[in-house]
Amino acid sequence: MFSIEKTTLTASPPFWCRFKTTYPSEIFYAHALSVCYTSAMAATSWEDSVKSLKGVILDMCGVLYDAGEDGGTPIPGSVEAVKRLRASDLKLRFCTNETQATREKFVAKLQRMGFEISVSEVFSPAPAAVAILKERGLRPHLLVHDDVVPEFDHVEKTNPNCVVIGDAAEKFSYQNLNTAFRVLIGLEDPVLFSLGRGKYYKEDDGLNLDVGVYMKALEYACDVEAEVIGKPAPMFFQKVLDDMGIPSHESLMIGDDLVNDVGGAQECGMKGVQVRTGKYRPIDEKHPTVTADGYVNNLAEAVETILKLRGQ
Amino acid sequence: MTSLITTLLPSRSLNKGIPAEFGFHVGVLGVMATKRALKAVLIDLSGTLHVEDTAVPGAQEALNRLRQASVAVKFVTNTTKECKRNLLARLISLNFDIKEHEIFTSLTAARSLVEQRQLRPLLLVEDSALEDFSGMEISEPNAVVIGLAPDHFNYHTMNEAFRLLLDGAPLIAIHKARYYKRKDGLALGPGPFVTGLEYAADCQATVVGKPQGTFFLEALRDMDCCAEEALMIGDDARDDVGGAQNTGMLGILVRTGKYRLGDEGKINPPPYLTCDSFPQAVDHILQHLTCN
Repeated sequence: MFSIEKTTLTASPPFWCRFKTTYPSEIFYAHALSVCYTSAMAATSWEDSVKSLKGVILDMCGVLYDAGEDGGTPIPGSVEAVKRLRASDLKLRFCTNETQATREKFVAKLQRMGFEISVSEVFSPAPAAVAILKERGLRPHLLVHDDVVPEFDHVEKTNPNCVVIGDAAEKFSYQNLNTAFRVLIGLEDPVLFSLGRGKYYKEDDGLNLDVGVYMKALEYACDVEAEVIGKPAPMFFQKVLDDMGIPSHESLMIGDDLVNDVGGAQECGMKGVQVRTGKYRPIDEKHPTVTADGYVNNLAEAVETILKLRGQ
Repeated sequence: MTSLITTLLPSRSLNKGIPAEFGFHVGVLGVMATKRALKAVLIDLSGTLHVEDTAVPGAQEALNRLRQASVAVKFVTNTTKECKRNLLARLISLNFDIKEHEIFTSLTAARSLVEQRQLRPLLLVEDSALEDFSGMEISEPNAVVIGLAPDHFNYHTMNEAFRLLLDGAPLIAIHKARYYKRKDGLALGPGPFVTGLEYAADCQATVVGKPQGTFFLEALRDMDCCAEEALMIGDDARDDVGGAQNTGMLGILVRTGKYRLGDEGKINPPPYLTCDSFPQAVDHILQHLTCN
């Protein structure tokens, strides 16, 4: 089942494999192909690969903390788990599709919750989007959360020739979506960037719609395919791996989003483990196309297992 | 276009066994083609007969001319914002000669589906459309009915709908139009919001309006004619023309309303005919497709 699914993916790469930016897309196809055969052959428990592990990438919302009205609350054991990872010989990075705040403010919030974390260790879509916009000389119309707008302060935005959408939450009104739609439909060659493509995330009051839903809405309205910046775009994971200087097969991604965290990481050749916190739902473990290399109850349990197996 | 007429019409007429005396021959660029025996014309409202509160120039008079030919006429619309009564009032105020029983809307189709399946819907439709759902049980909803409802397409209500869907409630879409034309420009239709919810909850909406084949066939039901004997006129290449042509009807695309340059190329097979506006469509029908 696993190997069949993976082979299917290589025959016809999902659109987020066709992510176009600085690298020619062929590189991604070729890369994905080799990766898939490797992971098909080595379909073993993630615990077997822990000894050769050199780095860990953590998703943030749903792994470190649960979002909420008051900024969120840490998931029990996660503050300590990050501390333990940091004290180990493993490299540690954080990879988020969070687009409701600038990276600085977001990191400051986590520090207030007690997490030992610095801005340079955190990879989020907005700064990556800014780099792509500048490189391609694009002027965005922004449909993003007010608090992430400052990330785009130094990007030219008059007379827009593309649209960037992020998790705008309450700002996802008909009026605002319509404005973005009109920009796109008025362009000869509509370009739509989506900061992630998540379906939903968990807040105190239940599951809430994420940016992917509105990305799909605009794609359908304008007959375009969005370019995804953030997880699960392979390039986004690759940037984190490059920063750690570690090959993909020696790194592990831990996240609560089966498709975007686990599946995205696996497509890059990493191991992917899903935590049963955050947006996790039991039916995730029977997903038709993505199977995690392992499931753990929470980050604390994952770290405990990793460090124990490594004799630390 | 010429080749399409000459290839489509004879084969369809013959296949359906329409007696030869109902058809006759016209010369098209020297090629003889059998005329189809046209019995019914379905006409879209918004964008075809009128754009908001303005009639398409000459449309009223063209409709009167069409009525004098021996074809039945029905008005089929995906306008989900308004109940039938309001639609009719607007058309009458614009001097169209139309009766309420001639209007077939996607709201009617949605209501009958909800009743058939005995569901309690969360109604994402404009308040002005609620009249067509009066008397239905809507407490503790176990289904989502979604139309064009800008006032309800806010984050809060979309989340409410999404959570119901995640619990297994069926999603019923009155239609999935991408966008429509307003006085101030193009505006999003319900389709993008339906598509978004489908993606979020990993489900597939049941669509009841155009371009569903069942919608067109349901509209023809009391008209004593089959799809091959009917024609649809509309401004939406996919939802009006493509949907109708998929059932075997002819489709005429008009370049009014939401039409944008190149729309005729968006469907395969292409429209039977593309013309500037409703009066030209009627001219073509009277000249080429009817006996009188």
